[in-house]
Amino acid sequence: MGRYVLQRLLGMLVVMFVVVTIVFVIVRIAPGDPAAVMLGPDATPQDIAALRARLGLDRPLFVQYVFFLAQLIRGDLGESIFLNQPVLSALAERAEPTFFLTLFSILIAAVIAIPIGVLSAYKRGSLFDQTATTLAMLAASIPSFWLGLLLIQFFAVRFSLFPVSGYGGPGASFATRLSHLVLPAFALGVVSSALILRFTRASMLDVLSDDYVRTARSKGMGEFRVVMKHAFKNALIPVLTVIGLTAALLVSGAVVTETVFGLPGVGSLVVSAVLRRDYPIIQGALLIIAALYVLINFLIDMLYLAVDPRVRY
Amino acid sequence: MKLISRVLLPALLALGLSPVSAQTSGGIANVATIGEPPTMDPMVSTADLVGIVTQHFFETLFTFDKNWKVTPLLAESMPEITEGGKVYTIKLRRDVTFHDGSPMTADDVVASLKRWMELASRGKQTAGNIDKVEAVDPGTVRITLKAPYAPLLALLAFNNSAAVIMPAKKMENPLKEPVGTGPYMLKDRKADQYIQLVRYDGYKPRQGEPDGYGGARKPVLDEIRFVPVPDPNTRIEGAISGQFDYVDALPVESYDRLKGQQTTKPVVLKPFGWPVFVMNTKQGNMANVDARMAVRMALNMEDMLAAAFGSTEFYSLDAAMYPEGYVWHTMAGTEGRYNVADADKAKALLKKANYDGSPVRILTSRQYEFHYKMAQVAAEYLKQAGFKVDMQVVDWATLTQRRADPALWDIYITHSPFLPEPALIGQLSESSPGWWSTPARKQAVDAFNTESDPQKRVALWADVQKVMYDETPSIKIGDFNALAAQSPKLEGVVPAPWPYFWNVSIKK
Repeated sequence: MGRYVLQRLLGMLVVMFVVVTIVFVIVRIAPGDPAAVMLGPDATPQDIAALRARLGLDRPLFVQYVFFLAQLIRGDLGESIFLNQPVLSALAERAEPTFFLTLFSILIAAVIAIPIGVLSAYKRGSLFDQTATTLAMLAASIPSFWLGLLLIQFFAVRFSLFPVSGYGGPGASFATRLSHLVLPAFALGVVSSALILRFTRASMLDVLSDDYVRTARSKGMGEFRVVMKHAFKNALIPVLTVIGLTAALLVSGAVVTETVFGLPGVGSLVVSAVLRRDYPIIQGALLIIAALYVLINFLIDMLYLAVDPRVRY
Repeated sequence: MKLISRVLLPALLALGLSPVSAQTSGGIANVATIGEPPTMDPMVSTADLVGIVTQHFFETLFTFDKNWKVTPLLAESMPEITEGGKVYTIKLRRDVTFHDGSPMTADDVVASLKRWMELASRGKQTAGNIDKVEAVDPGTVRITLKAPYAPLLALLAFNNSAAVIMPAKKMENPLKEPVGTGPYMLKDRKADQYIQLVRYDGYKPRQGEPDGYGGARKPVLDEIRFVPVPDPNTRIEGAISGQFDYVDALPVESYDRLKGQQTTKPVVLKPFGWPVFVMNTKQGNMANVDARMAVRMALNMEDMLAAAFGSTEFYSLDAAMYPEGYVWHTMAGTEGRYNVADADKAKALLKKANYDGSPVRILTSRQYEFHYKMAQVAAEYLKQAGFKVDMQVVDWATLTQRRADPALWDIYITHSPFLPEPALIGQLSESSPGWWSTPARKQAVDAFNTESDPQKRVALWADVQKVMYDETPSIKIGDFNALAAQSPKLEGVVPAPWPYFWNVSIKK
């Protein structure tokens, strides 16, 4: 078992090294120049060249790469070209809205998807099931930015219940900041619920036809107990995996929603960094996101190790 | 009523209180902008957004009044110009302090101007004409030029790539701590979240009335918060919901929606600026003047503007480089050369240019949707005239990089507000992408730049515009207006290309 864990850890390191290299190369071979963006539309080529030199962007690619690796080994992700702050601190500032947005979105998605998914599987083929599956398909097809704008129109503009955008001004309380997350979390939650609902339904259908469910029923156990205690508990394992992966996806993939709602999260930071060619931020953020994915996958593998003895041998 | 007009008003005026000072002090204005400015150092960037934000805490020696004439700001008065326009002696205001409490002296001004000449693109452009900058005494600065250079004051007054005055001890590069003299101070900046400015209590406004960017600047509001809202639809909703007191740069399509609202109202800045097709005169098929003229003859500006801006409420056909109302307005050189859309004429010119059929590479971006829409219409008219067209649609960062390489493009699309001084127009500079460099350009631009008599300069500008039409280094498409929105509670906002919020109050 120890050997298996060691192998997985080594594999993680290799994956991270490959990610680091690919990100570094892609970011630099993409056209665009942070110096030109920073200096504005009327900057002369000479000014741009001078700033590139100051930022070290005129050095050969390999030298920049070695310098970048050396920094990484020291745990330093570098300094943002535009924000005048270290990449780690810029990411840390963006972590709060992204974390809570992800958390609320997943909670909303789970609250919508799991009960409906369970009931849908239990009443397979009924009107309820058909309506739920159709709505799930609809939710999966709705672009989150469109839903976001719709929510803004109704709940922020017409009824003034929530703010339109941003994450609160200077000194905003925690509650105020959270109030900025309600609409985006709902937009993301509804869209994410579709996948979780379909997985819950499929997983429940599998489990409901298993022998032990039939046995439980034949013992005269009540339907509610059969479904919730025997079937649902076992159906939940793959659903949790999907929820975990959706959460990881939301951390990096809530870009459009964050932009629509003007949320200063990790996603919008990456987008603005790409538009401005803020190389250190792009590299740092992608590195952290990749690490998160690798870590989640590692944890899922370890969970399998715990629940399924076959993996150990 | 009579009591007010006969007794109170004269009394207020006698006390030196203008209507501005009668505004209720206090309040916070939330201003939605198109994004996060790339820097807080207005010297190093020509981006409009940098100028809009930093003009509240950094100031220049001069600025522009409501008629776009240069007027003193940190300077006590207009400079004394001697020795045939070569020596500018500038008296400084003695009551100005920086936000750190230290007084502004001639040493700070000299150090700031030197930094500007080293770092700012407009400063570097000016540095070639400057022999020396020196402090005569703590309250006087002298700039000695190598030869007369008329745009100097306008360059010292402009708010981007700006010659702002900083304390000599706090002007590191990159700038860590912005310390200026403006009516507001930078208190906090959370990138992509807000930029918080607070009133500088030590600020002493100039005497008199507000006059454009000049005159008395009074920090009436307690705070100004610039909030980046990159999505234009969210900016519209933010205005209508009342979350923002002022919302900049709105899509023109939102005008009708904004009109009927109680929480906000549209603000149209008419005219705001001009879209322009810049030609690569150095290399490729636009290096030939006949080929450039063929492009001019082929284009239908009306269709391009209609596609880009929709309603005539937001654009107008205008061949002149400056619209009516500006002292620089002239029709010189434009006759029969604007909005022609004559494919036959264009074909004849193409034949004369020995056009080899290689594609004309139009470099454009969807970052500004109206650039892209104009490019699409232009491409069809160019094809009718016999051009092959290669549309290269890239993001703005890529465009700004590619346009620096003459091998990569033939035409690129950009736009500009109407700049108060024509010498600031980028395409007039030989080093600006487009690289227009001909004897006729040099003669006309040099004559314009070295003449200091304002009346003569107006006539000389007509000569420059004529050469621009004769040689077509760029093609102005027309005039367009800008749309913003403001809360009816906000008082004292003057529509301006770089909106400012001193002398602005909030009705309680």
